[in-house]
Amino acid sequence: MSVKPQTAQVSAPCWSCQAEVHGGHFCPSCGRILPLAEGASYFAFFELPSRLLLDESALEQKFLQLSWKLHPDNFVRADEFERGLSLDRASQLNDAYRTLCEPITRVEYLLAHEGARKTGGAKQQAPPELLEEVFELNESLDELRTARAENDQTAELRQRLVAAQSNFQENLNEVDAELKQAAAEWDELLETDAATGSDAGAMSREALMKRMNEILNRRSYIRNLVNIVQNELAQD
Amino acid sequence: MGRIVGIDLGTTYSLIAYVDPETGKPRCITGPYGDTLCPSVVSVDADGAVMAGEAAQRRLLTQPERSVYSVKRLMGRGTDDIQEELKLFPFRIDASSGNVIRVKLGERVLSPPEISAFILRELKSWAENFFGEPVDRAVITVPAHFNDAQRQATKDAGRLAGLEVARLVNEPTAAALAYGLHKQQRGRVAVYDLGGGTFDISVLKLISTSEGNIYQVLSTNGDTHLGGDDIDNALLALARGEIRSHHGVSLDNAPEALQDLRKALIAAKHELSSSDSTTVKLTLPEGGVYQRESLRTEFDELIRPIIARTMGPVKMAMKDAKLAPPDIEEVVLVGGSTRIPQVRQAVAEYFGRAPHCELDPDEVVALGAAVQANILESGVKSMLLLDVTPLSLGIETMGGVVAKIIPRNSTIPASAQEMFTTGVENQTAIDLHVLQGERELASDCRSLSRFQLRVSPGPAGLARIEVKFLIDANGILQVTARDQRTGGEHSIEVQPSYGLGDAEIERMLEESIEFAEQDFAQRQLIEARNEAETVLHATERTFQGEEAGELDAAERGHIHSIATQLRAAIAGTDYKLVRARTDELNQATQHLAELVMNHAVQAAVQGKRVEEA
Repeated sequence: MSVKPQTAQVSAPCWSCQAEVHGGHFCPSCGRILPLAEGASYFAFFELPSRLLLDESALEQKFLQLSWKLHPDNFVRADEFERGLSLDRASQLNDAYRTLCEPITRVEYLLAHEGARKTGGAKQQAPPELLEEVFELNESLDELRTARAENDQTAELRQRLVAAQSNFQENLNEVDAELKQAAAEWDELLETDAATGSDAGAMSREALMKRMNEILNRRSYIRNLVNIVQNELAQD
Repeated sequence: MGRIVGIDLGTTYSLIAYVDPETGKPRCITGPYGDTLCPSVVSVDADGAVMAGEAAQRRLLTQPERSVYSVKRLMGRGTDDIQEELKLFPFRIDASSGNVIRVKLGERVLSPPEISAFILRELKSWAENFFGEPVDRAVITVPAHFNDAQRQATKDAGRLAGLEVARLVNEPTAAALAYGLHKQQRGRVAVYDLGGGTFDISVLKLISTSEGNIYQVLSTNGDTHLGGDDIDNALLALARGEIRSHHGVSLDNAPEALQDLRKALIAAKHELSSSDSTTVKLTLPEGGVYQRESLRTEFDELIRPIIARTMGPVKMAMKDAKLAPPDIEEVVLVGGSTRIPQVRQAVAEYFGRAPHCELDPDEVVALGAAVQANILESGVKSMLLLDVTPLSLGIETMGGVVAKIIPRNSTIPASAQEMFTTGVENQTAIDLHVLQGERELASDCRSLSRFQLRVSPGPAGLARIEVKFLIDANGILQVTARDQRTGGEHSIEVQPSYGLGDAEIERMLEESIEFAEQDFAQRQLIEARNEAETVLHATERTFQGEEAGELDAAERGHIHSIATQLRAAIAGTDYKLVRARTDELNQATQHLAELVMNHAVQAAVQGKRVEEA
């Protein structure tokens, strides 16, 4: 597996004027909107390298610029074929922006696009360092449900859950910091390779993706715990 | 190509607007009564002729069983959805209703899109009279929180009214467009839209770019069944209760009195927006008068829960936009119900700033729709709307759980691709169930449609069919499928869970043309009868004159028999027969007419001679 260079595009003749086209949203020769390139990444859509710590406000500017050009409003008078191309491109733009503007979905997307996203399955394993806390949480949840069913006092149990929640929230923040660190490492590897024009970082990137995948799984596990506690607390 | 207009198809009132090419500003068009508000009421008369707007609203009092209002509440909904509404609204639902409701109006049974189409046709005729040109395209607004079926039903209504729906625009977004244009403002804006039947809250960002202004919707939320109607119903319940306990009178079987009471209470509601008290008075059907003073404080107490229900969606929208109340720079009020002081106060309290209401809250949505229509019409655009889908799109997976594929508040158009394959050997079809909503279980979400992907028999997992779900700029779902192995388009059978199928729409279109023909025939009959009556009357008069004596018996008998036949034709409904008999009578009386003419000429000549003498 290798990371595809993001700027390279398959060359193809323009559907309208037959001029040779290398990527882009419009034909440079006749200006007509082009069909989406098969398998092109969201990063490529914005003509960006697949960096993970990207400048979000620059991305927003680019999103607005492209919206102005690609939105179906511009193609109301075009024929059905071109209207379809605009709809495809405009929806791809919105999908890409929605995915890339959030750090977590950005990493998830990169891994999925590179075939490196492996979710832990429906029943995920608790991270070893959290085993004890998860055990305690389940106990508290059971006690709270029982107390509620028997109309007993729940105040103290609720307090315990609130404490657990803030504890897990802290874990979540730690995981996010870890992910950010990994993202920075990823960008560094990309930069080094770009500077040297080599693919020397390929192995390290692969290992890094594996690590990021593991962090994401841990994150979704903890996120799930936070949600469970929130839902339980919201019930009273 | 004809003109394009913007239409606010409201629960209580509908409006139509255009952009004045001279000033570049949007304006509402007035109807025959000089009002921009067209009551969203449709009524059918004894001949089966349909009327909409003001004429229909008057019949709401005299012929409530032949008239319908608030039909927007039924758009895109099935009988199971509307049990609550049926307790509050006098809808006469036909037994044939299922996933599309059919309303009985006199002898006719109509679906909500057909009824809405009559309102749209009425508005269209206003605009055509105003322009002196045909109108064939429109931007129509919908509540932001409308789901796919409700949007599709609105689009169907446009089509049935002979309008190509150039775009469906969310009502608060349209309002923001009209407002932004008016104020030239920038920054974050919240639009609080409490209309007759629906509540919407939208949070937008107004951005200036070198090309023009972008109106980006960040989030939207709402309740498609919360509005002024609910206030009216609360007032109605209170008054009916008092009438029952103080006068021992039930209005259950007095639809006319009930409509009278409703009208009086709505008037009182309006009055209480500007005064502290008002008086409601109703003559009861069995004699006696219900009269009471209503106080603003009492009214405020009554509607507090309704206003409270709007705050949940407001908070959700703010949370989704990742904003806190102080981040909002402008608050805009839309919808007639925002005239209520307590509503304004609640909004001001939450956002910590006084809301804007310079533009007429009734007109602002239609004005915004006209602006969007103008954007689509003119090649050069100076602004762009980026709207969102209000509800998450999902597909049902194992165990009835919904897998979300497009989250709510995604900018539209938006899409998602999913790969499907077979689970068992020689499986010939893959069933898909698409839903909208935020809940975990399919049974708690809104079913949009079921699709079937046909596959050729083979080992499990061999088929690879990629399905693309795309929400277009109208917020309406389109589904396409592609066979990954052959690369060819894959056929899918779509069964909308709610709403009309294509075949049904076609049939309704044909019927609407048929009805148009019937209406034409009706008018022809009336005209032919009038003409026949005139000829008959003239014939009878001359028969009594001295000239008739100059006709022989056979001629008199002939005229008499044709006149009798014409009277029989008038009693019938065939306008062509009436015309033919009228012509025959004219023919038969030609000799008589000549005689009359001769006498007149002779008399005139004699008269002249006398004068000359």
